Amino acid sequence: MSKRIGLVSVFLAAIAVSSLLFVSPSFAEVVLKIGTLSNDANQLDPHVSTKSQDKILFPWVFNGLVRFAPGSADLSKIEADLAESWKSSADGLTWTFRLRKGVQFHSGYGELTADDVVFSLNRASKKETSTAYKGYADFASVSAPDKYTVKIVLTKPIPSLLGMVTNYHGGYIVSKKAVEKLGDNFKTNPIGTGPFAFSEYQSKRQVTLVANKDYFRGAPKIDKIIYRYLPDEASRELAFKNGELDLIYGTREQRWVERIRKDKGVKVDIIGLGELRTLHMNITKGPLKDIRVRQAISHAVNRDEMVAFVGQDVAQRSISVVPLGYLGNTSDVPLYKHDLAKAKALLKEAGYPDGVTLKVIITKVASLRVPMEILQAQLRKAGIILDLEVVEHSAFHKLIRQDASPLVLYGAARFPVADSYLTQFYLSDSTVGTPTAITNFSHCDAADAEITAARSEADQTKQLALWKTAQQKVLTQTCSVPIFEQLIVWARTTKLDYGFEMKNSLSNGPILNEMTTLK
Amino acid sequence: MSLFPKAGGLRRTIRDTIRVFNRNKTSWAGLVLLLFMVSLAVLAPWISPYDPIDQNILERLSPASAEHLLGTDHFGRDILSRILWGARISLSVGTISVLMGMAVGTVLGILAGYKGKYWDYMIMGVMDVFMAIPTLLMGLMVVAVLGPNLVNLTIAIALTVAPRFARIARAPTISIKNRDFVEAGRAMGFSDLRIMAGHIFPNILGELIVMGSLWIATAVRIEASLSFIGLGVKPPTPTWGGMIREGFQNILSDPWISIYPGIFILITVLAFNMLGDGLRDAIDPKLRNS
Repeated sequence: MSKRIGLVSVFLAAIAVSSLLFVSPSFAEVVLKIGTLSNDANQLDPHVSTKSQDKILFPWVFNGLVRFAPGSADLSKIEADLAESWKSSADGLTWTFRLRKGVQFHSGYGELTADDVVFSLNRASKKETSTAYKGYADFASVSAPDKYTVKIVLTKPIPSLLGMVTNYHGGYIVSKKAVEKLGDNFKTNPIGTGPFAFSEYQSKRQVTLVANKDYFRGAPKIDKIIYRYLPDEASRELAFKNGELDLIYGTREQRWVERIRKDKGVKVDIIGLGELRTLHMNITKGPLKDIRVRQAISHAVNRDEMVAFVGQDVAQRSISVVPLGYLGNTSDVPLYKHDLAKAKALLKEAGYPDGVTLKVIITKVASLRVPMEILQAQLRKAGIILDLEVVEHSAFHKLIRQDASPLVLYGAARFPVADSYLTQFYLSDSTVGTPTAITNFSHCDAADAEITAARSEADQTKQLALWKTAQQKVLTQTCSVPIFEQLIVWARTTKLDYGFEMKNSLSNGPILNEMTTLK
Repeated sequence: MSLFPKAGGLRRTIRDTIRVFNRNKTSWAGLVLLLFMVSLAVLAPWISPYDPIDQNILERLSPASAEHLLGTDHFGRDILSRILWGARISLSVGTISVLMGMAVGTVLGILAGYKGKYWDYMIMGVMDVFMAIPTLLMGLMVVAVLGPNLVNLTIAIALTVAPRFARIARAPTISIKNRDFVEAGRAMGFSDLRIMAGHIFPNILGELIVMGSLWIATAVRIEASLSFIGLGVKPPTPTWGGMIREGFQNILSDPWISIYPGIFILITVLAFNMLGDGLRDAIDPKLRNS
């Protein structure tokens, strides 16, 4: 009898102890689960990938020498990051940065030194290892006088130099040791100094990041981030509503925003900088060679209808080829008003009284395909028929860079200075199909002189004037139709608090760092 | 039995079909539904209340009303008009692809059955390989290789359908080719082509028609599935599968955009199946003679 009681009490004790293991909330890991738009990563090398859904991750993993204040994309509010202090010489040609001491790279790759910075900036300025290389053309040398000092010498003064060493694209500092050791694997195993360290990448599934407990600003309060690839909008929303996700890339439409805002415990963040949706017209091919046809297209586009479709909160109409809020943007440009009669008259004048048909390629992704279908309906009213071929997103990116589509609808956010947009989209040097190609889909060449001169103009008033002339010339040549800017929508549970006001971001997504908490 | 049951076989099949149809109310219902769908498709240009590709952004996603009987989609296009125009594509892709598959499959099947030996091995071997690939996967591969458009979509479905008809045609051919009338024809020096086309084909036509009506239902479904995964026709052309896909963007708030075309697919597939079942009963000798 007593033996039995003994056995039972041991059994009960075992149950009690094991149940304690399950009910121990104080030890629970804080895991932030995120749902993003894409179906997979392109690659996770910050100097190479320009894909929006990769860019979102980079500021969580990497730092620059300086940074935009979290939640801001204001060039006048740049603050210290890996560099503690910096100064420039009187002629503006030499910049010296003092590095913060004791900053550790993830996964035991050691302390950050000036060597890593020199390596990173040189890597960012080489065509073979970086897609940001053009911005660094005026770097004469980057050197390390001692372990914690970096010296940048320029061939000509760059007024916005700090912008090139921020936590953005070529400005991210990578570990020299890691790049050399991992080689090609670095692109799926990024090593930085940021608040979160890369842990695992599962193709077409997710990226897992873990807290960098040694982060120089303090250990993050979130232990783990699971960044899941969920291209389908409805399933992403469903998972969010069921509480399986804490933060999702939202649908960038008014109706969606209004609907999800009503849900309890949900906060919607509409984040700048917006992506400017521009219709680029190839000025060297077919009917579009004739400027009157391009003007007809410009007059046939109805911006107000487009903004009404997307919604006042998430879209703003654009008339200039440089996005609003970028240093150098001007609204003093030739405006092509919505005027179907004029569009038809221009087509007739150009020798197309019965209209024209253009074979156009567009991606499956809704944020470009849907506006393109609206444009298709708008242009049809003026007799311009678009024969749309819908292709996979990666095929779209490849084909438009092979000049396969006379009209290219493209949306992009770049570094918020007029130069980045003008250089990449309208400088003849950047024309697609050439060895120095970036994204000049229109073969525009109207403002080469102004764009190049503005880049090294030390006097800001003169620089702004040059950028203004450039924007006017591009639109006079009618290389493209700027249509609207689309802001970025993220929805989060109210339990997630960024720790700062999330207004603007250059990474297409929210900034997550040591201040961010998840209750 | 006449020596050469040529037109007589066909005429009797039709007569018996009508007789069994009269016994079987479901097949009449199928036929009526189908004729209704076909007339909607044919009359679409006249009965559609709106232009199916005309956008009206301000009235988008409006629910069913007197103005838009089935509401509007995310571009403010009238859903009813799009369904009516979409019927033309869905029905014609379904019918044409099955007719194409039937033509190719029947010729190959009769050839394999009649010639036998290595003809049989070769043709049916290839057909078996095709049969082993699931229909949707086959369609997906063809469209992926040739590119998504209406013609390729039709070809893709025809390719998945053809082997089924080869099977259906081959078996009765083997049994018929040893029948007296065929032997007699051969003795009189008829060419193989004449025997196959003139004497074997009319005798297996009944089976083929039944299979055809059932496979059109499947073809309509395959078309919708391929359009649904984005391998259908180009925008803004309306197709039922494409409409369901487009409606998915707003499925949580405005499900009707996907539901209405779904209902039309359902009715069409049902109509073909009901008709096919009736036809099968009609040509089944056991039922025919009872």
